[in-house]
Amino acid sequence: MLALESRTLPTNINLHLVPIEKFKTVLITAFLQQSLEKETAAKTALLPAVLERGTRKYPTYRDIRIRLEELYGAELGLDVLKLGERQILAFSLEVIHDKFAPGEDLMRQGLTVLKSVLTEPFTEEGVFKKEYVMQEKEQLSKEILGLVNDKVNYALERCIQKMCAGERFGVYKYGNVEDLEDITPGGLYEYYQSLISENPLDIFIVGEIDPQKTFPLIEETFTFLRQGMKKSLPQVEVQNKPKKPRYWEESLPVSQGKLTLGYRTNTAYRDEDYADLLFYNGILGGFPHSKLFQNVREKASLAYYAFSRLEKHKGIQLIGSGIESKNYEQAREIIEEQVENIKAGLITDEEMENTKRALINQYKIIGDSPSSLLGFFLDGIVGNRDEEVDCLIERFGKIKKNNVVGAAQKVALDSVYFLRSADNEGSE
Amino acid sequence: MDWDIKTDTTLGEKVYHAALDPGPALYVLPRGGYNKKYAIFSTRFGSIDNNFRIEGDGGAEEIKVPDGVAHFLEHKLFDDEEGNAFDKFARYGASSNAFTGFTSTTYLFSCTDYFQESFELLLDFVQSPFFTQESVDKEQGIIGQEIRMYEDSPQWRVFFNLLGALYQDHPVRKDIAGTVESISEITAEILYKCYHTFYHPDNMAIFVTGDVAPEQIFEQVSKNIAGRTYSPAKTIERIYPREGQAVKQREIVQELSVSQPIFNMGFKDTYAFLDGKALLFRELATELLLEMIFGRSEEMYTQLYEDGLLDEHFSTGYTAETTYGYTLLGGRTKDPGRLMERIWEGIERTKKEGLRHESFIRHKKTMRGDFLRSFNSLEFIANNYLAYRFRDIDFFDVLGVLEEITLNDLEKILHDHLKEEFHAVSIVTPFPG
Repeated sequence: MLALESRTLPTNINLHLVPIEKFKTVLITAFLQQSLEKETAAKTALLPAVLERGTRKYPTYRDIRIRLEELYGAELGLDVLKLGERQILAFSLEVIHDKFAPGEDLMRQGLTVLKSVLTEPFTEEGVFKKEYVMQEKEQLSKEILGLVNDKVNYALERCIQKMCAGERFGVYKYGNVEDLEDITPGGLYEYYQSLISENPLDIFIVGEIDPQKTFPLIEETFTFLRQGMKKSLPQVEVQNKPKKPRYWEESLPVSQGKLTLGYRTNTAYRDEDYADLLFYNGILGGFPHSKLFQNVREKASLAYYAFSRLEKHKGIQLIGSGIESKNYEQAREIIEEQVENIKAGLITDEEMENTKRALINQYKIIGDSPSSLLGFFLDGIVGNRDEEVDCLIERFGKIKKNNVVGAAQKVALDSVYFLRSADNEGSE
Repeated sequence: MDWDIKTDTTLGEKVYHAALDPGPALYVLPRGGYNKKYAIFSTRFGSIDNNFRIEGDGGAEEIKVPDGVAHFLEHKLFDDEEGNAFDKFARYGASSNAFTGFTSTTYLFSCTDYFQESFELLLDFVQSPFFTQESVDKEQGIIGQEIRMYEDSPQWRVFFNLLGALYQDHPVRKDIAGTVESISEITAEILYKCYHTFYHPDNMAIFVTGDVAPEQIFEQVSKNIAGRTYSPAKTIERIYPREGQAVKQREIVQELSVSQPIFNMGFKDTYAFLDGKALLFRELATELLLEMIFGRSEEMYTQLYEDGLLDEHFSTGYTAETTYGYTLLGGRTKDPGRLMERIWEGIERTKKEGLRHESFIRHKKTMRGDFLRSFNSLEFIANNYLAYRFRDIDFFDVLGVLEEITLNDLEKILHDHLKEEFHAVSIVTPFPG
């Protein structure tokens, strides 16, 4: 149903077109992949920020923004994603469809801006402009330190960092501040050139487009030099059977404690039984009808939120809940009991049916938003799973209780991280 | 039935409106090609409606309710005698939720299959209050944790502290959810009182969008409403304190566990009551003005960015409600004092040098594009349509009104609104040491 027309250019760029009529916009996104490593993470994350500061054609940030505004406020979004043990740079440009701006050629013009940002950076003496690099190092360092400002996310991220301390997945998506320090404009430029010419690059276009015209347009736009050879990045490490759960605690002057439990699922995204794992996550904590919401919130009134979510590529499940610090024991007990109950097969028919329908609903609406479509396709590329949404939906219909129990039994608690409210501060 | 159909050729959208008696006002915007169907049921009852009078009943008695009651009611309306509406939506694979703002409360669901069943459920549960003291007591624990969560959110705190500084008496200065103390005063009886006052169909509206047929929606709503016996709507008089033009305090600072200071600056608008096109004009014009001064394509932004005084999270906006309005700008900064100085310098320079036509055209174009782009999202369309409707604004007028704005209008707002006397500043700063 969601047709994806793909083609690989001689320069080793994978082009994927998603002709779809219902949107008001055309979205173009380039995903540049790199292996997530402690040594390069900060460098990789710094790149989009520096690239967005100026290009050969638009030497300053302001020049770029003015151009975007002329294109009816085309939205340029540069993002750093972490999918499994990949760090992915996403360069997006969304323009309104030409039918809303008669006489314009917004996609072609937008594409020029995107290409300029991605492949023609502003340089001085053959490398990135020094001020741009210095300023962006400072900004990125603030961004990394700013993680603590959002306590819900902070608690989840800290759990991952502790749990996966010795693994690539333990690296924060923006890297760390220490590794930023030594980056020079020259070193970064060299790194950029190797990345842009060697690493896997996928470009997606979603919207009301004509593939016959769009393929050649992209081909003639992205003519920069790329290696013909495919560079392969290391695969993600998923299997992990922890011996004894580890416990980490941190105190901060906050009102609410944050309890996070990190599990190893031992199921990869590409595995046959990934759908079973998704189902298990749905029964446990993906929805308001799930066991966590029902028991931690509705029955025990301990929390406003209690959820579980999958880091699908890495094979990790995180459970998060915001509670009074004094209720730690009780909340943890209730949470672990829910997991054990599923392992023991204590799942009602209603939970099965509700979860099936909720998952089907979730996957049916993927095609209703350009960005969720891209997310799904990107997951497929990174996780080596070539399956259409419809197939996955069909699978949900066939999953039985024993499949869910099977997925649940592979799941093992690895780490508990508790962000406690410091005694002297906190709630007033 | 008589549909009032409005077609917007620019957007390529059509919205169907039907008036039911008793209400609610019904709007349907069919959107082919989408699997998702999205419906909302809203009432004009928000956190600021904590003091009101109802005509009739042996004179008009003034009622005061605890802060946070609209939000509390929103949580409890999901309850029914057998359990709660969440569970029932779950049976259809529908995703349901609700949100409470300053001026309205909205119940919603989205689904792909079982639309009719889910829609019936929405209509039913919103019209069937079931509050017991026991369930009210229990919810206090849950909402208490919701409040705690927000206490730890620096963005939330810096924002509400700012409203508290801008406004002396207007209830917009209070947290939507109230406080742990104020919600402890809420009883089942208070919830019923508010429910019967503000959840009369005449005070409500429904918006449905997705691949749906307006006729069927209309039939379903009419049938559902007809089966209920509503007494005629009584006039609700909402009592807001007389809010002076002066701000309550110039600056407010709170310490939180953050990596660097967060700065918000507000300008209080001075109208006492505004709605309809005039209000929409005010909103769009002020937003446009803010973009022309602080937008990412303007010199001020680049300079402040290069000096490390702001980052990409810096934002500006204008809020236009019937009984209050304000400009808000801010973000994270290493030096709130210096940032504020520079913002003032920028505003004064703009006043002196005047606004530029080139920038005016560009930002107008951008706002036009932003509006069109947002129409990819069914939620955006529905939520905004009713939020504007409640202010007597037709959401489809946005592009038209935007065109009417002139550079002179903006000059006037610049000089009348962005003034020293109307501003206040809120800062969240890291704990010392």
